[in-house]
Amino acid sequence: MSETSPSPLRILVVEDEALIALELECLLDDLGYVIVGVACSSQEAIALGQETHPDVALVDIHLVDGPTGVAVAQALSADPRTTVVFMTANAKRIPDDFAGAVGVIAKPYSERVVAGALRYVAECRAGHVASLDGLEGFRLAAQQDRRVHH
Amino acid sequence: MTARSRRLEGSMDAGATFASAFEGSPTPMVLVDTQRPDHPIVWANAAFLTLTGYAWEDIAGRNCRMLQGPMTAPETVAAIGAAIAAGTSFEAELVNYRKDGSWFWNGLTLSPVRDADGVVTHYFSAQADMTGKRTLEMTMSDANANLGRQVAEQTADLRAALEQKTALLHEVDHRVKNNLQVISSLMLLKARRTPEGEARDALNGMAERIGALSTVHRMLYSAGDVTRFDFREFADDFVDDLVAGIDGERVAVDASIESMAVSAAMAAPLALMLHELATNAVRHAFPDDRSGRIGITARRHDGALHMVIEDDGVGLSAGRPNPSGFGRSLVDMVVRQLRGTIAWRETAPGTRVEISVPLDSVSLRDAVADPEDNAS
Repeated sequence: MSETSPSPLRILVVEDEALIALELECLLDDLGYVIVGVACSSQEAIALGQETHPDVALVDIHLVDGPTGVAVAQALSADPRTTVVFMTANAKRIPDDFAGAVGVIAKPYSERVVAGALRYVAECRAGHVASLDGLEGFRLAAQQDRRVHH
Repeated sequence: MTARSRRLEGSMDAGATFASAFEGSPTPMVLVDTQRPDHPIVWANAAFLTLTGYAWEDIAGRNCRMLQGPMTAPETVAAIGAAIAAGTSFEAELVNYRKDGSWFWNGLTLSPVRDADGVVTHYFSAQADMTGKRTLEMTMSDANANLGRQVAEQTADLRAALEQKTALLHEVDHRVKNNLQVISSLMLLKARRTPEGEARDALNGMAERIGALSTVHRMLYSAGDVTRFDFREFADDFVDDLVAGIDGERVAVDASIESMAVSAAMAAPLALMLHELATNAVRHAFPDDRSGRIGITARRHDGALHMVIEDDGVGLSAGRPNPSGFGRSLVDMVVRQLRGTIAWRETAPGTRVEISVPLDSVSLRDAVADPEDNAS
């Protein structure tokens, strides 16, 4: 973390399953990131995004108001400050253009893959060349480079 | 034929012989005079009268168009007229009408009859009732159309059923993965809230085992084939997880895993087995900052998966006794379930575990004899 950015990444968690969200918060906290909020519906997610301008949004596809994660990704990635990463067991619902997201962490995920994916995003945001070696659970969208380097 | 024709040419009553032969032929025949206006019928045999239902007096001197009716194709009639005008032969099938108004498909051949100077004087036509053949064709074509419709309907039904099945599979897949994630999160949350010690280690251990099963599920459904997965893909992912959790300076992991298809039924037990053995080696073989290496090899040979997990650590007897011995008994249980064999050996230094597990028919489907050819 410290070698790639002066301040830790600020992360918005968009996840409707309370247990998963809570555990993810603990994990992100352990990894030294800052959680700016947890949203479980699309409205909440978009509102929190506009309010907090997170560095990274981890977005599940299925939220309490249905498979609205794709729309959330579209809305959040419209803010150039925010890098969106899907986090879902339902990767088949992701559109071909990834709705502006840079990639997807497949559920069920391991803590190592979450850590690796966030490290990758942090490196890319800092303009460094990052490697995806050994991160089978994290898949990039096509043409992700253009989206990560603003 | 030539000899006979020549013989007949010499005969006085050749004409009478031909006339008699044509008259008695079962093939309907008719002759029209093309040098007279409107090409009147000048001769027809008995078979022609039977076919059309007319008496000779009804048709003598009339034009053949008297046989036409509403269902007669005008373009066929026009083609016949053109052939006659050109003085060429012609074949056609058209609808003709009998005296009683009933119709039939008439298959006819037209050929010009020339005089000694080569001038066309008559047209000769032989006919055949093609109604039976036509009806058969129509029936066949109807039957084909019907079959086609039925096949299309059944294909649509099958496609709908398949779409339903695929949607259901996705739904179940999604739920299984999500539930595994929830179970794993539950374990880890409880572990975080449990004081350091045996209970927390147990919870973390269970979360890791669930993680191994989760990896299998993720791989089973992400590939196109939900009945099998590639053991190497799983093992690579697992070894990455393993290496990430240890001090790489002190303990090295060498993995050599052949690509091989493993059925969904065998996937979870095999994943658990590999997880227990490798994790055991990492946890117990190198106490007190001891360094060394762990080797993992897996290959397919004679329809069985052969796996060796070895370390150059302290060995089974020297190692700290595992509080419950749960890992080892889990491995023994899984190997028994898969009808395989397992041997634990002290290699001084270290431990070597050899496992052979027969692969089931689903795993071996399409498998080639030499697994190296199957590496892709």
